[in-house]
Amino acid sequence: MTRRLQQALRSDASDETAGAAIAFEQRPVPGDDDVIVPDANLRSRHSPPGDDVVPLTLRSVTKRWHKTQAPVLEGVDLTLDLGTRTWVGGRNGVGKTTLLRIAAGLIDPDRGQARVWGFTARDNRSRYQRLVSFLPAGDRGLYARLIVRHQLEFWARMAMMEPARVRPEVEQAIDTFELRELAGRRVDRMSMGQRQRLRVAMTFLTEPDIVLLDEPLTSLDSEGAAVLNRAIDDLIARGGALLWCSPSGENLEQRFDAHWVLERGMLVRA
Amino acid sequence: MNELGRAGCAFLAVMRRDLHVFLSYRTRLVSQALTSVFSLTLFYYVSRLVHVSGFTAESYFGFVVVGIALVTVLYSCFSVAELVRQELVAGTFERLLLSPFGAVRSVIAMTLFPLLYSFAMAAITLGLGAAVFGLQLHWSTVPLSVPAMCLALLAFMPFGLLFAALTVSTKQGNVGTAWVIALISIVGGLYFPISLLPEWTQTAARMQPFTPATEVLRHLLVGTPQSTSTATAVAKLVVFAAVLIPASLFALQKAIRFGQRRGTIIEY
Repeated sequence: MTRRLQQALRSDASDETAGAAIAFEQRPVPGDDDVIVPDANLRSRHSPPGDDVVPLTLRSVTKRWHKTQAPVLEGVDLTLDLGTRTWVGGRNGVGKTTLLRIAAGLIDPDRGQARVWGFTARDNRSRYQRLVSFLPAGDRGLYARLIVRHQLEFWARMAMMEPARVRPEVEQAIDTFELRELAGRRVDRMSMGQRQRLRVAMTFLTEPDIVLLDEPLTSLDSEGAAVLNRAIDDLIARGGALLWCSPSGENLEQRFDAHWVLERGMLVRA
Repeated sequence: MNELGRAGCAFLAVMRRDLHVFLSYRTRLVSQALTSVFSLTLFYYVSRLVHVSGFTAESYFGFVVVGIALVTVLYSCFSVAELVRQELVAGTFERLLLSPFGAVRSVIAMTLFPLLYSFAMAAITLGLGAAVFGLQLHWSTVPLSVPAMCLALLAFMPFGLLFAALTVSTKQGNVGTAWVIALISIVGGLYFPISLLPEWTQTAARMQPFTPATEVLRHLLVGTPQSTSTATAVAKLVVFAAVLIPASLFALQKAIRFGQRRGTIIEY
C-alpha cells in the first residue's frame, strides 16, 4: 500500500510537490494503517526538481564488523520522506548506531548505499554533510575549554555558513535552545544535561534537511526534551525528515510517523 | 561569499578555536617562556665550556640558540598528530569529518595555530638570548629569516601530517613523534654541527629538510658559515615541500577513507 500511495502521490504531484510522498520500506507493507498522509505542500529548501528522489534513502545496506561474525546490518532498506519522523528501536548493540553512522556518511557500508536527494556522500561529501546532521549518542563531540557561544560559532563556520549569518544564527540558536544563561560558560563547567542541550543546538544550528538522532534524550530534563521537540516540529514544518534511534522501551513523547525495530540486522515494523 | 571565501573563514575559525583554548590555560605562555629562559641559561653556561676549532663560546651560544628556537618549531609541526589524537578521544574528529569543511582541511587548519605560536616562541627565545645573554644577531639579514622560516615550515609540515595520518590509522601515531624529534635533533644539527657525526649519519642528515633549514636560518640570524650556498639550501627546501606536501595530504586522505571503509574512523 505504501508503494502504491507513493506512486499515486508522485503521479499527482506537480514539480513543486515532487517527492512529497512517504515510503518506509523493508518488507511488503500490510494494511492501510501504515499509511501516513503527507502535507502535499511540503518542500525542503534543497528539494531538487523531479519526482524520483527523496531526502534520504538507504538501499540494501549491509555492514559486517568481522568476517567470521554475522552482519550487524543485512540488506537494510529505509526511505525517509519530506516532513516525516521515523523511529528505529532495538536492543543494545543491535546496530542502530551503525545504521545512523552510515546514513550520516561517517562510515561506509560493505554493500548498499545511503543517498540524500539522490546522491551519496562519496559523490559530493561537502554537499551531503550540509544536508544531513547527526547527533551521536553520549556526551562527546564538544571542546571542553570553549564557551557555549564560541562552540556554536565554530561549528557554524565548519558548516561553511555564510559569514554574515553566523552571529545572528548563533544568537538565535542560543535563544531557541534556551542557552542564554550558559552562553558564556565553558563546557567543562556544565552539567551533562546542559551539554546535551548544547549538542542538540549544534545539530539543528544549520537547518539541515535530515536530522539523525541517536538516543537524544540522554541526560535531558523535561524542559530540554520540550526544546528538542520544538526543534523537531520546526524541522518537520520546513519539510525536513527525522530519524530517531533509541533502545526499545524508552519513554518517547514524540509522535512518530513510522516505527521500526532492528532485529538480527534487519528492520521490522514495530 | 564564494566557497573559497567560506573555506578561508573556516580555516580562521580553527585558529580562533585554538587561540581560545590556549588562552583558557592562563599560565601556559608564562610556563613556556620560562622553559626557554631555563634552556638559554643552561646552554649559555655549556657554551662557556666549548673550546673546539671553529667555535668560540659566543659563536657556539648563537649556534645553539637558533637550534633551540627550531626545536620549538619542530615540536609544533609534529603536535598535529597529538591534536588529532585528542580530537579522536573527545569525539570532535567525528564532527569535523561530518562537517562540510571536512576532516582533511580541518587537520591542515589545526597546524596553523601551533606553527604561528612556535614562530612567536622562537622569536621570544631569540629576543631573550639577545636581551639577557648577549646573543649577537645579524640584524641586516634577520628580516630574511621570516620567509626562510615560512619555507622551512612548508618543508616540515608534511611530517606532522604524515604522523596525523598514522594517528588516524593506528590511533597511536603520537607515540613515535618523541623519538623522531630526538632523531632529527641529532641528524639535523640542532645542538652541534653534523660534521661531528659519523660519515653515514651525515649522509642521512642530507636526506631531510631540517639540515638545510637549520643552516640557512643560522646563517641569516647569527652569521654562521654554511656548508653549501643559500640558494642550494633553499632549492632543497622547495623540492622537499613540493614532494612531501602532496604525499602527506594523500596519506591523510587515504587514512581517513580507510577508516571510513573499515568503520574504525570513530574508534580511539
